[in-house]
Amino acid sequence: MPQQKIRCLLAMLGTDVHNKGIRTLAQLLRDRGVEVIYLGEHNTAGGVINALIAEDADVVGLSYSTATYLHYTRDLLDKMRTAGVGDVPLMLGGLIHADDEPALREMGVRGIFGPGSTMDQIVEFLQTATGKTLPGGAAAGA
Amino acid sequence: MSDRPGGESVAVTRTGTGADPGTDLQIIESLARGELRVAARLISRIESGDPAILPLLAALHARGGKTPLIGITGPPGAGKSTLVDQLIFRYRQQGKRVAVLAVDPSSPFSGGAILGDRIRMNRHSADEDVFIRSMAARGRLGGLAIAAGDALLVLDAMGWDVILIETVGVGQSEIDILRHAHTVVIVQTPAGGDAVQALKAGVLEVGDIFVVNKADAAGADRTVSQLREALSFRSDAQEPESWHAPVLKTQAVEGLGIDELVLSIAAQAEFWRSHPQQRATRRRLQTRLLLIDQIAETLHQRQQAGDRQQRFEQLLDEVLARRCDLHTAASRLLDHAMK
Ligand SMILES: Nc1nc2c(ncn2[C@@H]2O[C@H](COP(=O)(O)OP(=O)(O)O)[C@@H](O)[C@H]2O)c(=O)[nH]1
Ligand SMILES: [Mg+2]
Repeated sequence: MPQQKIRCLLAMLGTDVHNKGIRTLAQLLRDRGVEVIYLGEHNTAGGVINALIAEDADVVGLSYSTATYLHYTRDLLDKMRTAGVGDVPLMLGGLIHADDEPALREMGVRGIFGPGSTMDQIVEFLQTATGKTLPGGAAAGA
Repeated sequence: MSDRPGGESVAVTRTGTGADPGTDLQIIESLARGELRVAARLISRIESGDPAILPLLAALHARGGKTPLIGITGPPGAGKSTLVDQLIFRYRQQGKRVAVLAVDPSSPFSGGAILGDRIRMNRHSADEDVFIRSMAARGRLGGLAIAAGDALLVLDAMGWDVILIETVGVGQSEIDILRHAHTVVIVQTPAGGDAVQALKAGVLEVGDIFVVNKADAAGADRTVSQLREALSFRSDAQEPESWHAPVLKTQAVEGLGIDELVLSIAAQAEFWRSHPQQRATRRRLQTRLLLIDQIAETLHQRQQAGDRQQRFEQLLDEVLARRCDLHTAASRLLDHAMK
């Protein structure tokens, strides 16, 4: 009866305030059986990492709507490694430019879901990245 | 958690459920040192119902019971998380280290959840002396209060100065969670008097402190007087040696009325200290109810195991066909479960 759930931290960093996308994502993930720990906007890297540790999240998702994401992502990943949680998969969503994807992957970003990504893609990523299965989604299309 | 780059052991325990986080004694020592990751992992194992941690929980229980547990409950949107944020702020000013367990019992069909209580407490996100953990229902009914209690054992073992438990005060399972609390704060809002009506189902009896939050909204004073009147009918209201639950007004967003709340919580704790008899009676009642819950939960878990599940279904068929009545079926199941 008690189960292994995917716990996913969702947050926005810095001054980014366009939270509509991430709110929608939170709801869609909930509807797929994910436990979303929603941090909203205006987070610092340190705050996200503290939450990640306390909540024992399986995965972190960040949403961006401004062009500063390379900087923020690098900073977060550096600090995650320093804190010993560099192995927790990080996914990005929002307005991510395709040209930046290689650089982001290079940094260690595991999932990138720009405009046009589908929920099935995100769900499959979550299952693969965490090694856990979601109730309705036995690794669709694997 | 400090900026210690180490985390070797954590990196190991993080990677999988099979990884060995150390012996129970090592875990207990890590908790006592305040290692947040060890605690966080342990709470996850509690949440996923890992039976291997039962001996550890027993050991924690044997050593526990030291930290004041303050329960905060009330309807969704009443301002509980905002109040918790304000309480964290005040306790931090007093130099106290604070842990929060935020329980969200809403259990949508999908089994997922959005746990958003932390947002209101975001200003403490960089504070290493504040630990906030969110917990969802995961389809458990009675089991939620038990899982919350086990998570509280973990927090209790870490030496926090105070533990705050936020839970939505709607259903029975949330009221059950309050059985772990030493002080119960019930939060209401000026909602045209309906709120007080809705309170009657047992919550009025278990509250130690009542808060009318959103005192900036119309009707706050009326809600306060309605609550006071309702409380005057409480079974213990006339006893001279009992605690008289105060009704306070707060504006959590503005931080107004919080000092009074902090004082009332302290006064209530002082009351328990000076009235050990009453405190023992209360603890006994709470623990009695917890044990009854646990019996049901343990039975339920045993029924889940293999052939027992089948046996349960067979007996259910018998009852439906009226070949067996409820009493007899329950006795048979219990006899079987004892074996
Ligand atoms: N007007 C007013 N709004 C408040 C007050 N306290 C909290 N709120 C708001 O009520 C909403 C719900 O608050 P929250 O703390 O999340 O409530 P919870 O669901 O009980 O935890 C938020 O938008 C708060 O800003 C208050 O004293 N006055
Ligand atoms: Mg809340």
